[in-house]
Amino acid sequence: MQVNDHIGEAAELYAAGQLDAAEIAAIEAHAAGCEACLRRLGEVEETVLALERVNKPLAPPAATNVLPFARRQISPWWLVPAMAAALFVGFLWPRAQSSHDAATLALVNGHFSHAQFAGAGPKAKVLYARDRSWYYVIVAEAGRYDVYGVAGDNRVSLGSTNAAGSTSELFVKMRERFDHLELRGGSGAMETATIR
Amino acid sequence: MVTAFASRTARSVSVRDASLEDGFARRQADAYEAAYRSCGPRMYSTALRLLHDPEAARECVHDVFLHLWRRHNAYATQRGSLEAFLVTCARNAALTQLRTFTRGRAAIGKFPAPVAYEMEEDPVERERVARAVGNLTSDQADVVQRAYYGGMTLAEVAADLTIPIGTVKGRLSTALRALRASLIPENADAG
Repeated sequence: MQVNDHIGEAAELYAAGQLDAAEIAAIEAHAAGCEACLRRLGEVEETVLALERVNKPLAPPAATNVLPFARRQISPWWLVPAMAAALFVGFLWPRAQSSHDAATLALVNGHFSHAQFAGAGPKAKVLYARDRSWYYVIVAEAGRYDVYGVAGDNRVSLGSTNAAGSTSELFVKMRERFDHLELRGGSGAMETATIR
Repeated sequence: MVTAFASRTARSVSVRDASLEDGFARRQADAYEAAYRSCGPRMYSTALRLLHDPEAARECVHDVFLHLWRRHNAYATQRGSLEAFLVTCARNAALTQLRTFTRGRAAIGKFPAPVAYEMEEDPVERERVARAVGNLTSDQADVVQRAYYGGMTLAEVAADLTIPIGTVKGRLSTALRALRASLIPENADAG
């Protein structure tokens, strides 16, 4: 779209869901500097809303009512490592506009899930990306622990944790879908965390 | 600020909430959360009508908020109603998902016009919309049913009706303007 072009019937096509992402980006870019076209988009959106009012609003399924911007209760012991993980992920997340955005998104918007390790060893938790692109293991004791990812019959070494103050941590950027993670310490005691 | 939007709940769209819209335009997290609460159900029902999959519809709404959050200046109050903007975003995102993934492919083109929704529906609004669609010419209604309600692409509509894509575009644009005139009273956007 040329700078001096107005969006014309593209407004209705946008409202009817007939534009692809690049075309929508083009009309949005134009409308950002053209108040007449911005208002025109608002008008066609009102038409969509009027058509969609036929359906009564429905609450999303209760089991999945995770608000994108809800504040969450986070266990105190892993709060600091979690913040660090979010910031770290922020630096690795190319789509985010800044590490601050990514960190905010990761922590506040539920970008990651987490699971507690269960077993005879120390208290430990794994944070992992919802798309399984990274895993971050945090053990509530300083020390060295070996971490394995298990998927079916395959068992992969992810490396060992490194002490970081009073905790021990391992960050792995690896796009693998594991059923569970195993954590082994020097004594051989094993813990597992189920990845859901 | 945290509680400023917290008690707001879903309500009629025609009543615009200036402080919520302003907060959303300023990318305030509290406003996003409040918008999710007040507009999320409508966005969800819109996505669900297209996707027929509660989990996919929920994710669609979630993704719209995340996408907008990442984009600075995604919404400006001069544009118009925030809910209209969000519902359109949700609908477009659902259509993209429907066209992208095979699991939704079978549903395209099979969803009928507003007289036969499977979901819970508002009979008053249904009657209003059905009347507005009924006032379109048959050529326009054919295109609206396929392109808007059926989620078909312009090319699919053109092939189905054996008319040029340009004609489909023209009929669709004219039809949506006519629907706007029927459904939205003059000066309804003023405030």
